[in-house]
Amino acid sequence: MELILQQAINAISLGGVYAMLALGLAIVFSIVRLINFAHGEIMTFGGYGIFLSLLFGMPPAAALLIGVGAAVVMALAMERLAFRAMRGADVVSLLITSFAVSEILKVLFQNGISARPVPISLPASWSGTYQIGGATIGVLPTVSIIVALVALLGLTLFLKRTEIGIAMRAAAEDLEMLLLLGVRANRVVAVAFAISGLLAGIAAVIWTAQRGSVDPMMGFFPVLKAFIATVLGGLGSLGGAVLGGFAIGILEVLAQAFLPEAFAPYRDAIVLATVIAALLVRPDGLLPAANADRS
Amino acid sequence: MKMRISLLAAASVIALGTSASADDYVVGVMSAQSGYLAPYDQPSYAGFKYCIDKINENGGLNGSIPVKTIVKDTRSDIAEGVKVVQEMIDEGAQFIVASADADPTIAAAQITAADGIPTMTFAGTAPVLTQVGEHVFGSYPADNQQAAVLADYAYGEGLRKVYLVKSPDAAYTLGGPEYFGEAFTALGGEVVGESLYSLNQPDFSAIVTTIKASDPQPDVIVTWAWEPDFPAFIKALRGAGVQTPVMGGDVLDTPTVRGLGEAVDGVIHTSGGYPNEGSKYATFMEEFEAATGTTPDNNYYVNGCDIAHMIEQAVDAAGSTDPAAVSAALAEIEDGEGIMSNFTFKGTDRMPLREVVIAKINADGSKEFIKRELADLDTLPKP
Repeated sequence: MELILQQAINAISLGGVYAMLALGLAIVFSIVRLINFAHGEIMTFGGYGIFLSLLFGMPPAAALLIGVGAAVVMALAMERLAFRAMRGADVVSLLITSFAVSEILKVLFQNGISARPVPISLPASWSGTYQIGGATIGVLPTVSIIVALVALLGLTLFLKRTEIGIAMRAAAEDLEMLLLLGVRANRVVAVAFAISGLLAGIAAVIWTAQRGSVDPMMGFFPVLKAFIATVLGGLGSLGGAVLGGFAIGILEVLAQAFLPEAFAPYRDAIVLATVIAALLVRPDGLLPAANADRS
Repeated sequence: MKMRISLLAAASVIALGTSASADDYVVGVMSAQSGYLAPYDQPSYAGFKYCIDKINENGGLNGSIPVKTIVKDTRSDIAEGVKVVQEMIDEGAQFIVASADADPTIAAAQITAADGIPTMTFAGTAPVLTQVGEHVFGSYPADNQQAAVLADYAYGEGLRKVYLVKSPDAAYTLGGPEYFGEAFTALGGEVVGESLYSLNQPDFSAIVTTIKASDPQPDVIVTWAWEPDFPAFIKALRGAGVQTPVMGGDVLDTPTVRGLGEAVDGVIHTSGGYPNEGSKYATFMEEFEAATGTTPDNNYYVNGCDIAHMIEQAVDAAGSTDPAAVSAALAEIEDGEGIMSNFTFKGTDRMPLREVVIAKINADGSKEFIKRELADLDTLPKP
C-alpha cells in the first residue's frame, strides 16, 4: 500500500512536468501551427538562469524566480527573432526553423557556459521527507505536484476569464477571423510564447530542483516526451496536452516500478507502443481539438 | 592570370606549411568539440597537446622525432569519427588517439585494423574495447580494475550487502556495477538487488522507492551512473530519506558532482589519480595552470598528457616508428613512467594496469583522499 502511494506520487509529479511542457507546446502550436522543438532550450535557459543567479550569490528563492523569468525572456526573444519572420510559412519550414534554433542554442550553451553539467545546489531542507500513514513522501515531488496543478489552474482561469486569454482561444480556433475582428496578432502570439516560456520556466525549476544539475542537453528528452504527450492528447488541444502529459508520466513510472527486470530494456518501447495503441483507437488523440490535425 | 598564379603560390605555401616532413611522427587525434563526448575529449586533448608541445620543444619524441598532430572534430558522432579516422590515415597518421569512450574507440579501431595502426582511447575504460585487436590500447585504469579496488575497500569497511543500479545503454554504466558485484561476491559479499535505468532517464523516484522497499536492506548502493543521471539519482535517493552509503566510478570525480552539497556528503568514488602534495601530478597542475590559465580540475587533462608519454616510451622501446613495432613495444611496457600514475601493459590485455584512487566527497564540495591501490591481475573480473 505504501509502495503504491509512493509510486503514485512519483507518477503524478513526473506527469505534472510533462503536462506543463506539453501545454507550452500546444499553446504555441494551436495559434501559429509551430511545433517548437526549441522549447527544450527555453527550459534549459531557465535552468542556466537559476545556476547563474546562485553563482552570483542570490538567495535560492530569488534564483528560482529569475530562472522562470529567463525562460519567459528566451521564449519572447525566440518569437521575435526567429519565428515572427516565418509567420505563415508551412509546417515543415517552421519545424526546421525550430530545429535550427534548438541546435544554435545548444552549441551556444556548450561553448558559452560549459559542455559539462553545472551543479544546482538548493538548501538540503528543501528536499526533506514527511510521513503519511507510514509512507515516507518526499517534499520536492509533493511541491512539484502542487506547483504544476496551481500553474495549470491559473492558466485555465487566464484563458477563460481575461480578454487576451479569450482572444488566444479564439486565435486557436481561427486566427484569420480574429484578425478580421481587429485583434493584434503580434500581441496574441507574443503572449502565447510568453505563457509557453513561463510553463517551461516552472518546469525547469522543478526539474533542476529534483535533478541537481543543468546541461546543454537538459531540455531535449523531456520536450520529446512532451511532444509525444501533445500527440497523444490531440495535437492543438490544450486539455489534451495536459491529459497526455499526465498519461505519459504515469505510464513511465508504472513501467519503471512494476515491469519485471527482464523487460526493463524495452520500457520505452512498451510506453510508446501503448501510445500507438491509444492512437489507433483514437486517431485524433484522447481529447481532439475542434479543428483537429490528425496526428 | 597574375592573380591566379599568386593564389596558386599562396595555396602551395599553405599546403607545404601543413604537410608533415618525412622525419615527423604523425599522430591523428579524434576530439569531439561538441556533443556528449566533449566534456571528456576537450580536457583530454588539452592535456595531450600541452605535453606534445613540451616534447616538441625538446626536439621531439626522445629528443629526435618531432611529432605532428592532425586533430579532427567528430561532434561525438560515431559515423563522423570513422570518417575522420580514415582521413587521418590518408594524411599519413601513424598513431591514432580515439575519443574518450569505448564505442567510438572500437569504431576507430575497425578502420585502423587493416594497417595495424596503434589506436589508443583518450579515456575509455570498458575493458572490452581492446578486444578488437592487438593494435588497440586503453590509457585509463579499466572499469574492472576500479570495481575490484572499490569492492575490496567496501568489504574492508565491513559492508556485506550491495544494491546495484546500472544502465544497459553503455558499456561503462553496465560493466562497472557488474564487475563490482563479481569482485564483491568473490570476497564473500552479497548482491541483494539490482535496478536498471536508461541514460538521461527523466526520473529516478521509482527506482528509489524500489530500493527503499527492498528486503534485506543493502549496506551500500553502487552505481556507475554519470551526469546528469547521478545527480538526479542521488537527489531523489536522499530526498526520499534513504541514507544508505553510495559508491561509484571515476566519473563522479567532477566539480559538478562535488557541487551538489549535502546530497553527496560521504559519497565514495574511484579515480584515476589524486594530486597529493608534492607529487608529479600536483606539479603538472601548477605548470599547466601557469601556462594555459586553465585549472585542470579533472583527471582527463593529466591522462591526456600521459598518453603523450606512453607514445614516447613505445617509440623509444620499438626503436622505430613502424606501426606494428610500436604496437608490440607498447604492449610490453612494464612500469612505464607517467604523471597521473605509472602504467604497465605487459601481462594485461592492453588495458594498462594503473593505480586506482579511492576518494570521498564532503558536503562542502571538497574531495578527501582515502587510498590508492593496484588491482590484483589474478583476481580481476574478466571482461
